[in-house]
Amino acid sequence: MSFAKFRRWMDEPGNSVIFTGTTMFVMIVLAGILVPLFYSFGPLDFVGEPFERPGAEFLFGTDQLGRDIFSRTFHSVYRDLGVAFLGVSIPFVVGTVIGIILGISKSKKLIGLISSIIDGINAFPLLILAVALIAFLGPGLDSVIIILALTNWARYARIARTKAVVVSQQNYIEAAYTLGYPKRRIIRKHVGPNVSSETIAYALSDFILVILLVAGLSFLGLAATPPTAEWGAMISEGRAYILNAPWITLFPGAALCWSAVSLAFIVEGLSRREGRV
Amino acid sequence: MTEVAPQVAQPKEKGVDNRKVFAFRVLIRFIRSIAVAFWVTVIAFTLIRLAPGDPAQSRLGPSAEPEAVEALRKQLGLDVHPVQQFFNFFRDLILNGNMGVSLQFDREVTDLIFTALPVTLWLIGFSVIISIFIAIPLALFVATSNNVFVAYLFRSSTAIAIALPNFFVALIGILIFSIRYNWAPLLGYVPSFPENLRFLWLPAVVNATTLVAILSRVLYSSIFDTLREEFVETGVIRGIGRIRFLWFYILKPSLSPTVVLLSYIMGVMLGTTVIMESVFALPGIGTELINAVLARDYPTVQGITFIFGVIVVFFSFFGDLLAYWLDRRVKF
Repeated sequence: MSFAKFRRWMDEPGNSVIFTGTTMFVMIVLAGILVPLFYSFGPLDFVGEPFERPGAEFLFGTDQLGRDIFSRTFHSVYRDLGVAFLGVSIPFVVGTVIGIILGISKSKKLIGLISSIIDGINAFPLLILAVALIAFLGPGLDSVIIILALTNWARYARIARTKAVVVSQQNYIEAAYTLGYPKRRIIRKHVGPNVSSETIAYALSDFILVILLVAGLSFLGLAATPPTAEWGAMISEGRAYILNAPWITLFPGAALCWSAVSLAFIVEGLSRREGRV
Repeated sequence: MTEVAPQVAQPKEKGVDNRKVFAFRVLIRFIRSIAVAFWVTVIAFTLIRLAPGDPAQSRLGPSAEPEAVEALRKQLGLDVHPVQQFFNFFRDLILNGNMGVSLQFDREVTDLIFTALPVTLWLIGFSVIISIFIAIPLALFVATSNNVFVAYLFRSSTAIAIALPNFFVALIGILIFSIRYNWAPLLGYVPSFPENLRFLWLPAVVNATTLVAILSRVLYSSIFDTLREEFVETGVIRGIGRIRFLWFYILKPSLSPTVVLLSYIMGVMLGTTVIMESVFALPGIGTELINAVLARDYPTVQGITFIFGVIVVFFSFFGDLLAYWLDRRVKF
């Protein structure tokens, strides 16, 4: 793409916001890949004196045990964003499929049963259900993934079902039936893409919520637990020293905000492109 | 081939009593709430049975004596057939309002909940009031300003505010307002009305940053749509007084999506207050939940989860009613 073309693309509404958000997101992901590969200090190594200020030797300073915060902050990237990615993509697939099945199914009993389960799950705030399930599954990032897979699909299923009902009444579906296409093909090629465009849009903003949920649960000591390098857990550990050594809390917090805000910009830019301003 | 969403009866001719239609709709919506509340109960019941292995054994550890495990199983009601268990759970809960006895304290779970719940409700109520007083003028100003730059600034800053993790914002708030300027107490709580606001204002303001952003965004776009309706023009032409015009012609028709959203968000806020209470060490229901989870106090976890579900169901019921009162075009 030539520079002039890029300039023209950037002038369209929303694209500059999308560009900013994507750049920010790519930067944090790249840092999350490059720092663990090339940086000399590991996230769990005791490399310096405790509470060293940010400076030339330790870019982000050291924490209460003398571990390097720069290394710990960027070692958290794949953990935080990776868990959140799994916690969004599994429910996205499961929820969309269930929603489509409900939207085109003719069995009143099946629809009634599954949609009341969906309403029941959606009645609980996600965080409450997650905290409660951790009491029974035990703390850990793997339980967070299991919990999100168990509960978060219901929100996708509700969106997918509503859309699938609308889509399946459209003329092009009618036309596909008239042409004699098998039902499997119609679902895969006609209903599926139209419904998933709707759930993908939700998945993006859900990604922000899930990143915050994972960090929030770790902050409460229910997901990643010390000494694991994870933003929420690091913020929680640094809390006690916030007066004298605020950098222990501020750098992982800034990284968390950076990731969430970058995604928020992408979502915002996409909605501006659709002209919803 | 398709299932059409069920339609509630509409008033067909002019002679139909509007009050009867309203009562009928409320009844239908109420029955739906009860149905959801039933599923909430089922999920709360299932929770404890999701634990891998025997919950009594896993709480007491592998070295526990078999008699103690058996006693705990009996206390948790796990010693009978699952169907009987559900029947017992349901009967205790609905008929006697009994949710069992806490395993960490020698107290009824119901008692525990009713001591802690007011703190949480105060916090939520206070946050919502602050947010409403900021969000409505803000949305009105941005929607009527006709300035693209103002609109973009508003959308960008609210997008950022929604994405910020509230526990981190809360820590920064503590750093600034409690430690640096000493405007807010660091810890503690007094459970009586005017004094408790001193402890609640900072957590409520932190909650409100997200809430204002969410509410004003929705309200902004509905006011934006309302301004393009023909009756607004009629109102301008007829020269309605400013306050009357703002309320009847602009706000009242635009508020219902915000109200529905607010009732939903208040449920979500029950979740975020868990984190807020933990940061500010408030003795609310969220703190109780975290303590119960860490102590593996199954009956308390179950009871609190159930209460949260029921509160959300009724928030959304009243939210829908209020939305219908504000705008009769709303279907629910």
